[in-house]
Formats: sequence, structure tokens, C-alpha cells
Amino acid sequence: MRSVEIDPIGERIEAVRQAASAQTLLAATAVLATSDHGNGVNNEAIACLVEVLGFNNPGAAVAAVDGLIALGPEAVEPILESLDPRNYGARAWAVRALAGIGDVRGLDLLEEALASDIGPSVRRAAARGLGQLRLAGLPREQRHPIAARCLEALLAGCGDGEWVVRYAVVVGLEALAPELQPEQPGAPPRGLAQLRSALERLSTDPAEDASVVNLRAALALQRLAPLSAAEGAHG
Amino acid sequence: MATSNSLSGTVQAMAGTIDPDAGISAAGEPITEAEALQRLRQSEDQSQQYYAAWWLGRNRSRHPEALPLLLATLRQRRPRDPGAGVEENAIARNAARALGKLGDGGAIPELLAALDDEDDGLREAAARSLGELQATEAVAVLLRRLASGPAGAGAPRLDSPRLQEPCEAMLEALGAIGIAEPGVITLIEPFTAHDRPLIRSAACRALLQLSGEARWAEPLMQLLDHPQLQVRRAALMDLGAVGWRPALEPICHTLAENSLKLIALRGLVEQGAHHDATIQAGAVLSAMDSLL
Repeated sequence: MRSVEIDPIGERIEAVRQAASAQTLLAATAVLATSDHGNGVNNEAIACLVEVLGFNNPGAAVAAVDGLIALGPEAVEPILESLDPRNYGARAWAVRALAGIGDVRGLDLLEEALASDIGPSVRRAAARGLGQLRLAGLPREQRHPIAARCLEALLAGCGDGEWVVRYAVVVGLEALAPELQPEQPGAPPRGLAQLRSALERLSTDPAEDASVVNLRAALALQRLAPLSAAEGAHG
Repeated sequence: MATSNSLSGTVQAMAGTIDPDAGISAAGEPITEAEALQRLRQSEDQSQQYYAAWWLGRNRSRHPEALPLLLATLRQRRPRDPGAGVEENAIARNAARALGKLGDGGAIPELLAALDDEDDGLREAAARSLGELQATEAVAVLLRRLASGPAGAGAPRLDSPRLQEPCEAMLEALGAIGIAEPGVITLIEPFTAHDRPLIRSAACRALLQLSGEARWAEPLMQLLDHPQLQVRRAALMDLGAVGWRPALEPICHTLAENSLKLIALRGLVEQGAHHDATIQAGAVLSAMDSLL
């Protein structure tokens, strides 16, 4: 007997497409999202996970977001191409996925989401994402303008009306800080001082009704102290 | 437009602040404090009053006119007449909720009176607000209304899925007010065996707040594994309200939205130092970071 060639990924995609209930969709998505893609990424699997973002099934969408984040940069274009202004839910999940992937191609969407999305949990994900874009592989001359845009968006987010978004902004600022160090002693400042004073304001703001935000900002400042000291020492 | 449609649209818009991802309608557009006060002052458009009352509470208005206007709105209520489509009581309930958020003790006498209103929805809103205001004056009335215990105050009504008394809100208010006298504890304890998990959760929350005894935290942590999402959410909020830090891991692992876990963990940071110092705030903060 000859064994029949099977394609596990193909079967798993089919299982998602055939899912007849919310529960089976969730289960099938979770299986597909955690699949090992072996050599090379399966574009059909990406397309399928992106499709799930638009199904109005939060459990499955969470699993699909995790799967897309694991797939990384390969998933960015398909996510961006799928954006449908009429499907708010899908867009919100796309923001979460892009925030997790950290690819600079998601920058426009993350900026827009933090500034104006109506869902606090979407703004929260965008703020976290703006702090953790992966800039290390980019040419030097591109890195700083991108970091400067992230900083600007996060500084504006300090005034968000929801505590959890301000909390995420603090976490985002802390993560962004290393990108803003001057390249060498005497080089022009890159915004680290601005970032620090934003955190100082958040750590002491008496109008802040969530003391957890004050506390988190104080922790960020404490962790960034070595960076700032280096900046100060070099003028 | 004071149609019931526009009011239900407003209700949905405001529900959006509870559900982090719910949509928002035109009624939810940002307004200024002056405009909110103006909307509350007029009485022709009730959906505008409804929204304005909510707005002043949401934004914890400190304007000197906010308290008297909200009290006037609370007095607008009428005897219950469910068939008549009367919306004054819905607005009065919103005013009662807002009064708890202003943090002004001047609202206490009228909220106390509302605890004996025949509208149980208003009693519920008043109980929550008196809890938020930590109004010790309210303890006697709350005890009186709950005195008949799970089989009386906690019995299901014949005409609705609700209970005779809004037990959940009243138990939570007793916990928030914080008078840990034996009479209060003894009255709350039987509610920890109520048929409904949400009532058990509220009773354990109150007892944990009042006594700090770990035995009341156990049932709450078990409810984090309850098959119903609604129950898991309530247990999250209750552990957060108490700030019970030993619940850190169970909270992180329960099946619920990160938005709600974050609210619960905020409680562990902000309220938690009272109970247990073995889990440091820093550990809770790093758990929060990973849920963003």
C-alpha cells in the first residue's frame, strides 16, 4: 500500500473554512495558528487567519492574532491589504496583530489607531506596538525618523481619557527609549529628554485617577535612569 | 429627538464604556461640561438628560451645579409604571449612579431615601453609589433590606429574573463601606451559599474586604473557572475590588478578555497592599505589561 501524501496545513485550513459553529471555528483556528510551517510560510494559511479576523468571533480572532504574530513580517502585507473600513472588528484585530509583529509597515495604522480608534483596547494595543517596532534591521537614516514618529504619537497618547491606554503609553515609552539615545557623545538630542519629562509628568500627575499609571511611570523612569544618565554625561 | 429609539441608542453608546470594544453612536460624541449641565437643566429631551447625567458622573464633574442638578434629576422619578414607557426613572437611576462618582457626601441623604424606593433598579443604583461614597449612614438601611436573607431578599421574583432585592449591589456596598461589625458579617455570610454564583461572588467579596480572611478568597478563585463567562468576569472584578494579590496567577490564567484582567490587576496594585505583602506590586505590573 502506498501512503497518500497529505498536507497537514491544507487540511487545517479546510477545517477552519468548514467550521460550522463558533466553538469549532475557535478550535480549528487555534490548531492552524499553532501549526509548524516547516520550510517557508504558507500564504494560504496567512490568508485564512486574516479572514478569521473578520468573522466576529472574538475567541477565534484572538487565536488568529497569535498565529499571525508568530508568522511575523510575512503576515504584514496580507493584513494591510485586507483592511476594510466597513468592518470595525476586523480592523481592531488587525491593529493588535500588527502591534505584536512590530513591523514598520504597520506604523501608519498604529499611529491612526492610537490617535482616534474608539475602542480603548485597540488604542492600548497600538500604544504598546508603537513602543516595540523592530527597528534594528533598518538602515540608520531610517531608524530615527520612525522612532521620532512613534515618540510623537505616544506623547499625544499621554492625554488619552482611558487609564489603560495611558498605562500602555507608559510601557510603550519605556520600550522606545533606547532608540532615542544620541548616537554618540555630543550628537544632537533625539527626544529622550522629552520622553523622560512625559514619564515624570505621568508619574506625579495629581489629576491621574489611576495610581497604577503613576506607579508604572515611576518604574519606567527608574529603569531608564542609566540611559538618561549617559545622555546627561555626554551633554 | 426624545424617542425611545434615541434613548436606547444612548444606552448602547454608554454601554461602550463598560465593554471596551462596543461601538459608539452619535449620542456618545464628546461634549463639554457646560453643555452637559445645560442638557440636564432642560427637560424636553429626555435622552439628552440621560446622557448628561451619565457624562457628569463619568467625568467626575466638580462643577458646583452638578450636585444640585443631579439631585433634581433623581427627584424626577415617578411611581413605577412599567407599561407606560416612562423614562424619568431611567434618568433618575443614571443620576443616582453619577452621584456616587462625584464623591460629594451631600448626595447621601437623598440616595439613602432612594434605597427604599419601590423601583429595584433605583435601589440598586443607590446602593452602589452609597458604597462608592463609603456612606456609613447606609449600613443600617442595607442590613434592614437584606435581613430576610437568601430565602427572602435573595428569592427570585415571580415577574422577572431579578431577585426581591438587588442583593449583589447591596452586598458589595456593605463591603465597600467597610464597617466590619459582627452584625454585618453574620448577615452577609448566608449569601455565600446563594444559588446564583454572582450573589455568592458579591458576598465573598464583601466578606473578604471586611475580614481580610483568606477563606473568603477561595470561592472567588474557584469562580474564575466557572463555565459561564459572565461569572468569571464578576469574580475578576470582585478580586480586583478587594485587591487580593494571591489571586494574581489565577486571574492571569482565567478565560476572559485581557481588558477585564487588566482592570482586576489594577485593583491588585492599588488596593492590594492592605492584604498581602508577599506578592509585590512589581510582579503585578509585569503581569499587566504582558496583557497589553
